[in-house]
Amino acid sequence: MKRKNFPPRIPYWLIEFAAWYDDGFAALGDVCEEYYEIMESRGRTSAKLWFWKQCLRTFPFFISDFILWRTIMFKNYLKIALRNVKKQKGYAFINIAGLAIGMAACIMILLWVHDEMSYDTYHENADRIYRLTIDANLGSQMAAPVSMPPVGQAMVQEYPEVLQSARLTRPARYPVVVGDQEYFEEYVAFADGSVFDIFSFPFIEGDPKTALQTAYSAVITEDVAKKYFGSGDPIGKVIEFSEGTKYAVTGVVKNVPHNSHFTFNILRSMETRYAENRQLMENWMNVSLFTYLLLAEGADPKGLEEKLPDLVDKNLGAILKSIGGSIVLQLQPLKKIHLYSDFIADIGAQGDILYVYLFSGIALFVLIIACINFVNLSTARSSVRAQEVGMRKTLGAVRHRLVGQFLGESVLYSLFSLILAIGLILLAIPWFNAFLGRNLSLNIFEVPWLVPGFLGLAVLVGVSAGCYPAFFLSSFQPVRVLRGKQSARTQNIRFRRILVVLQFAISIVLIIGTMMVYKQLVYMKSKALGFDKEHVVVLPGLRDTMPTSYQTMRNEFIGLPGVINAGASSMVPGRGITRSVFQPEGYSQDQSQPMDYRSIDPHFLPTLGIAIVAGRNFSEDLATDRDESVIINETAAFQFGWQDPIGKQFILSPDQTDGEEETRLNVIGVAMDFHSMSLREKIEPMILFYDPEDYSTMAIRIAPSDVPKTLDLIRGKWKQLWPQRPFEYFFLDDVFDSQYRAEEQIGNLTLRFSLLAIFIGCLGLFGMASYTTEQRTKEVGIRKVLGASAGNIVRMLSREYIVLVAVGNLIAWPAAYFLMKTWLDNYAYRTSLAPWVFIAAAFLSLAVALLTVSYKSIKAALSDPADSLRYE
Amino acid sequence: MKDLTKIEEMLLVAIWHLGEKAYGVKIRQYVSAVVGKELTYGHLYSALNQLVIKKYVTKSVGQTPAKRMGRPRIFYSISPAGVHALKAALELNEKLWSGISRLALEKKK
Repeated sequence: MKRKNFPPRIPYWLIEFAAWYDDGFAALGDVCEEYYEIMESRGRTSAKLWFWKQCLRTFPFFISDFILWRTIMFKNYLKIALRNVKKQKGYAFINIAGLAIGMAACIMILLWVHDEMSYDTYHENADRIYRLTIDANLGSQMAAPVSMPPVGQAMVQEYPEVLQSARLTRPARYPVVVGDQEYFEEYVAFADGSVFDIFSFPFIEGDPKTALQTAYSAVITEDVAKKYFGSGDPIGKVIEFSEGTKYAVTGVVKNVPHNSHFTFNILRSMETRYAENRQLMENWMNVSLFTYLLLAEGADPKGLEEKLPDLVDKNLGAILKSIGGSIVLQLQPLKKIHLYSDFIADIGAQGDILYVYLFSGIALFVLIIACINFVNLSTARSSVRAQEVGMRKTLGAVRHRLVGQFLGESVLYSLFSLILAIGLILLAIPWFNAFLGRNLSLNIFEVPWLVPGFLGLAVLVGVSAGCYPAFFLSSFQPVRVLRGKQSARTQNIRFRRILVVLQFAISIVLIIGTMMVYKQLVYMKSKALGFDKEHVVVLPGLRDTMPTSYQTMRNEFIGLPGVINAGASSMVPGRGITRSVFQPEGYSQDQSQPMDYRSIDPHFLPTLGIAIVAGRNFSEDLATDRDESVIINETAAFQFGWQDPIGKQFILSPDQTDGEEETRLNVIGVAMDFHSMSLREKIEPMILFYDPEDYSTMAIRIAPSDVPKTLDLIRGKWKQLWPQRPFEYFFLDDVFDSQYRAEEQIGNLTLRFSLLAIFIGCLGLFGMASYTTEQRTKEVGIRKVLGASAGNIVRMLSREYIVLVAVGNLIAWPAAYFLMKTWLDNYAYRTSLAPWVFIAAAFLSLAVALLTVSYKSIKAALSDPADSLRYE
Repeated sequence: MKDLTKIEEMLLVAIWHLGEKAYGVKIRQYVSAVVGKELTYGHLYSALNQLVIKKYVTKSVGQTPAKRMGRPRIFYSISPAGVHALKAALELNEKLWSGISRLALEKKK
C-alpha cells in the first residue's frame, strides 16, 4: 500500500487513542476499510474528508464508551480482589497488617520530621533573617552564636541591605515578684524593641512599635499575663525582679510557638542594660549577645559577609593587632539554626539534622520491609492467581491490562492499610508525643499536605510493592499455567530469597544500632565522673538578695541530722560551663589558654567527693586564699606541661580584674579531673577560684538513708532562713543524667522502631514459611512414611531460612559497624564496639526467625502422614 | 428483559438482515442507507456494546484484509435472548401501530 494513500494521521491517532477498549481496534479497522472503499469510488480527497468527519463526530461516543468499559472492568477487578481477600484471610491480614504498621511508623516519623523542618518558618520574613555568629581567635579558637553589642546597629548604618538588627540575651530563669507573690519564671531575656520588626510575634495588647523601647519596660506572653494578672489588664502593671528593679509591662504577645529555636516568657528592654552599664554595652570586645539581622529583599548574604572583615577592622583592628587575635563575623540563616547549628552554648536547645536523616532512614527502612513482605507473599502465592491470569489472557486480556489489574489490587491493599494505619497512629500518637515532648497531631487543618500526602503514600506504596508481582504474574503463559505448570519458578525463588536477606539485614542493623545506643547510655551513666553524683541536693538561684551569708546558711544546714556536708559554688556539674582565657606562667599574653572556671568554697570539693591529688584545698583561715590562690584540675596541669604545678602562677591582666595592674594567682592544689558536662564533651583545663561574690548554688550531701525526712528538714530550715522565697531544689544525679535525654529518646525510638521492623519482617517470614510448608505437605508425608523423624522434618523445612538470616547478618555487620562508629565518634568518651553486640544480634535474629518458622514446620512435622498424603 | 433503544433495535434488525456478513462496515452502511443519514462509528459501536452488555448479540473474530490496517473484523450474531428481544420489539411495534394506517397519516398532512 502506498504511503500517501494512508488514512490521515491525526484522526487515525485520535481514534486509536480513544477507542482502545476491546472492540475499539475493530472500529478503527472498519473506518479504514470504508476509507479505502470511498477512495476507490470517489477519490482520495473526499475519502480523507470523510475520515476526518467520522473521527470528529465519533469521538464523543468513543470517550463515553471508554469510560463505560473501564468501569465495568474495574467492577470486575474489584470483585476479584475482594474475593481474594476473603478467600485467603490469613495472607490478606499479614499483607495489610504489615503494610499498615509500616505506614503508621513511617507517617509518625514524617510528622516529627515535618515538625523539625518547620522551625522558625512561621516568621513572615524568615528567609531574610540572619544571625551573626563569630569565629574568633583570641589566644584560643572559639566559635559562638553570639556577637558584640554595637555590631548590629553599626551594620544597619553602614550597609543599606541590612534593614534592622535586634539583640537578645540568653533566656534564663529568674525569681520575680508581682504584687506580693513570688514566682520563678523560665525564659526571661533582654531584647531590643526591634525584635518585633524582625520576628513575627503577634501582639495581643500594646504596640509593637513602642514596646520595649524604653528602659525598664517588659513584654510578656499571654500565659504569663494570665498567671500574674488573671483577667485584669496587664498593661502598665509592674513586675519586680529580685535585683530590686521594677519593670512596667508594655505589651502582651501570643505564646511563642514551640517550633522556635528560642523561646521567651518575659522580654525586658535592652535599653535597661544601657541604663545600668552603658560602657559594657558599647564595648566591642564584649562578645555576649545574640544578634539577629533583617536583610532587604534580594540582598546577597554572601556578599555582605565578605564586607564584614572591614567593619571588624575598623572598630577592633587596633586591639586585635595588639593581642594578635582575629574575629570573623558570619551570617547564619534563621531557618538553618534549629537543625544545622552546633554551637556548644546556643540560645536554646537545638535539633540535629543528623537525627532527622537517621529517623527518615528508619522510616524508609520500615516501609521497605513492609513492601518486601507484600512482594514476597504475592509472588509466593502466584500459583493461586496463575489460573486466573491464564483465563483472562485466553479471553483476550492484554498484558498491560493485567499489570493494571494487579497494580490496582495492590493499591487497594495499601488503601486498606492506610485506613488501618491512621487508626494505629491515633492510638499511638499520645505515647509518641509523651516521650518526644512534642505536640504532633493528625490535624489536617494545621498540616494541609496530610490528605494528599496520605493518598500519595498509599499509591506509592501500592505501586512499588505491587510492581514486581504485577509484572511477574502478568507474564504467565496461558498454555503453561492452564496445563498446571508454573513458569519462571526458580528465578522467582531466588528473587524472594534476596528480599528476605535484605529484610533481615535491615532489621539486624537496627538491632545492633539499638544495642549500641543503650550500651553508650549505660556507659555514660555509670562511668566514674570524678565526683559522686548520688545523694546530693542542690539549691539553685541563690544569688542576689539572699538575706544571710553563705557561711551562715551552710552552718544552719550542716547542723541538721542526715546532712553530711554542704558547699557553695557558682555552678554545679551538669548545669553548663563558663569559659574564658587565662594566661598561665610560661605563656605570653597572646598565648592565653581557654579554661573552664568556677568559684567554690572550701567545702565544695569534699561535698562532691572530688579528690585533691596534689597540694591542698582552699582554707577559710587563710585570707590570701581568696585573692591569690587557685586550684586547677589534672588536665590543666598536664596541658601546660607542669610536672610540679604547686606554686605555679596565672597572670590576670588589668582588663580581667578591673584593676590597675596585673594580678598573679598561685596554684595551691590540683583537683582530680571531673566531668562538668556530658560525656560528649572532653574534660577541659579548669581553674577554680575562691570568690564568695560569685556563688549561686549550695550543694548539700545527705545520708542515703531516709532521704525524704532529710529533705523535709532542709525545707523547714529554708522557710526559717528565707521565708519569702519558694523552696527550690534538685538532685544532682537527675540533672546530670538529664543531659542524656537526647540519647534516651533516640534509644527509645530506635528500640521501638526496630521492634516494629522485626515484627513486620516476621509477619512476612511467617507467611512465606506457612506457604512453602503447605506446598511441601505431600513431600513431608512421604518422608515421614519413609522413616524421617519429626526433628529431620523441622530441620529440613527451617534450614533455608537459617541460611538466609545468616547471610543477612554477614551483610548487616559491616554496615552497622560503619554506622555506629560514625555515631560514637560524636562522643569524647565512648563505649567500645564490642563483638558480642554483633554476635548477640545474630543470635537474636536467628532465634526470632527460627521461632517464626518453626510454628508451621513443627506443625507439619507432627501431622499424620495419612492426612498429608490425602492432601490435594 | 431489558428494553431496546431505537438505535439498538435498528442494529438488531440490521444484523438479522445481514446474517453472516454482519460486521462494523456493513452494519453501518445498512443502517445509514435505511435511515438516509450517515451513522458514525462511535454511535454504532457504543450501541453495539450496549447490545453486548445486554447479551443480545455475540461477537466472533473474523479475518483481517490488508486495508483494515491490521485490525480484524468482528462479526456479530444475534443470541437467543436477542431473538427474543427482537420478537418482543416487533410485537410492541405492531401493538403500538395497530389501527393506524399510512393512508390516514398522509391524509392528515
